[in-house]
Amino acid sequence: MAYVSNMVLEVFTVAIWEKKSMLWCSCLMPVLLWWSTEAWAGGVQYELRVDGLACPFCSYGIEKKFKKTPGVTGIEFDLERGLVIVRTAEGVELSEERLQQIVADSGFTLRGVKRRLLESP
Amino acid sequence: MKRVPGKTVRAGWWSFGVLAGLLAGPAAAHDPVFGLGPHTLFKEGVEIHLGLDRSEAGARQDTVTTLELAYGLTSNWTVRAELPYVDRSGGVDGAGDLGVATKYRFWRRDRLGEQISGSIFGRLNLDTAGEGRGRDATDAIVGVAYGYESRKWYRWAALRYRYNGETSTGLDRGDKVLVDLVGGIRFRQSGYLEPDWVWMLELNGEQTGRSRLDGATLPDSGGSEWFLSPGLMWTLRNFALKTGVQFPVWSDLDGNQNASDYRARLELEWHM
Repeated sequence: MAYVSNMVLEVFTVAIWEKKSMLWCSCLMPVLLWWSTEAWAGGVQYELRVDGLACPFCSYGIEKKFKKTPGVTGIEFDLERGLVIVRTAEGVELSEERLQQIVADSGFTLRGVKRRLLESP
Repeated sequence: MKRVPGKTVRAGWWSFGVLAGLLAGPAAAHDPVFGLGPHTLFKEGVEIHLGLDRSEAGARQDTVTTLELAYGLTSNWTVRAELPYVDRSGGVDGAGDLGVATKYRFWRRDRLGEQISGSIFGRLNLDTAGEGRGRDATDAIVGVAYGYESRKWYRWAALRYRYNGETSTGLDRGDKVLVDLVGGIRFRQSGYLEPDWVWMLELNGEQTGRSRLDGATLPDSGGSEWFLSPGLMWTLRNFALKTGVQFPVWSDLDGNQNASDYRARLELEWHM
């Protein structure tokens, strides 16, 4: 759904700018932007590169912390690659500072974040 | 200062020797079974810990069951309270001395699949137990621990010093130094929700000073013991089971003292 809405937004935006109509722009852009927002998407997936993850038992603190965070719908671990995958509900965003804090409070170090929009189920 | 019959004094430092080894600081999380490790709880994390210690030295047998509660003030600072229940040969049993402890991780270096850290540790064994079940004094323990853990290998090193308070009978028990060198291996690198096994081998050394009573050194006190201690840690998500046995490999106790036959420990731990 996010992919489709982004495509539609792109097509309309190009069309509007080619006509150089500011009226069209001012009327349609808010609607199109709303349509393309993550309200239509299925949430966000954060792929966290976390250093210090050596054992499953010690990683539990990260699970506990994220599960207490409102809007988090799922969490997975790939200990071999040092990855923590966190998924959020529709419309819920976690800032990098927030992610950094959660990982630090769990006793580990956040090295990087990849963010990806999820499609609606 | 009160003078006491020699038998009471002997019983005092005799029981101290065994209990000191058992209650010198229980392990936590992925720390050694008998030694001290640098691990701390995550911030606002709660740990419930149930421990069972069994030791034999000559005719003497001790069983200590310990309930512990720990809390993570920050991800680097944990506080802990421990209440032991002592069952000693000779029909003495009941609540032992309450212990309070804290550990602060002052250094940590994280890499992909590895964590190296150092912590300092402090503990007070309060004089709360009834006669014969505790040490009849408040003791303090300070220590420092280093730990390296990876997906496969573990190694730890720790040094603790135990300052023993004077008992109400005027017995000044010798202080104790504890040294731990530990290696561990995870043969199979398990995933997050899979059962995880770590095998450990510890070398635990204990050097105890001479006890004194009214300025006189007690001949049957003090000395050194070294143990080789195979151990195992099994975990599943937030639950851990740890167990190990200390076998004496070298003993040089002064005077006439019973050397340890063995010490065994079983621990259950939940993180919440």
